[in-house]
Amino acid sequence: MNVSSIPGIPGIAPIKAPEPIAAPAAAPGKVDLAGSFASALDDAHAAEHTATHAAEQFAHGDPSMGIHEVVIASEKANISLRFATTLKNKALEAYRELMNTQV
Amino acid sequence: MSNSMDFFTAMEVSASGLSAERTRMNIAAGNLANAQTTQTAAGGPYKRRDVILSAVAAPGAQGTEFAQQVKGVAVSQITQDAAPPRLEYDPGHPQANAQGYVAYPNINPVEEMVDMITASRAYEAGITTMTTAVNMAERALGIGR
Repeated sequence: MNVSSIPGIPGIAPIKAPEPIAAPAAAPGKVDLAGSFASALDDAHAAEHTATHAAEQFAHGDPSMGIHEVVIASEKANISLRFATTLKNKALEAYRELMNTQV
Repeated sequence: MSNSMDFFTAMEVSASGLSAERTRMNIAAGNLANAQTTQTAAGGPYKRRDVILSAVAAPGAQGTEFAQQVKGVAVSQITQDAAPPRLEYDPGHPQANAQGYVAYPNINPVEEMVDMITASRAYEAGITTMTTAVNMAERALGIGR
């Protein structure tokens, strides 16, 4: 059975229909959990950098930097990191599930 | 940052609203502080300032045509109120005119208080929007847990 893909959030690669088992490992368009995790981690890193920079600018008295901007930047960094952590947990969970397969 | 974080769009839009309200608050504070200012660099009494807001494309909301309909807000200009100054008879005042009247700013403190309350409420609304967006993102992260 072919499951039609969910339209999904723009930017996040949509969930693909299950691939046939015989498909080659490096099939193009395949969702790579490790790759998504890496890019999410990059995003989290960038957000964390932005938050630190915003806090520094605020501490230096930059008039263009409001309190809310600093708080929002750190909140974004928090969410980005949790997104990356969630992906990591999912990847780890999948790996453990495979390792526990009875043969 | 890639646009994989689409739930940040609501946060960006709320942030633009918060910035706009902060400007409005600053302007109201300036108006109240200068309610009795009779001398300015441009000459004459201080003139009441007002903030003009305009809708702008939300940062990071490119892509689908629906996403392009999401608009943030920005202060497009700060205008000076053209209303005539309030004249008070005070012949001893150094800024008094030939008839003995001093021109005071066209500022009504009650009006400024109302502006301030409006800005404060709008700021609260922006924070509520932000909190809701953050909660939605957190709920999304908890799917399947």
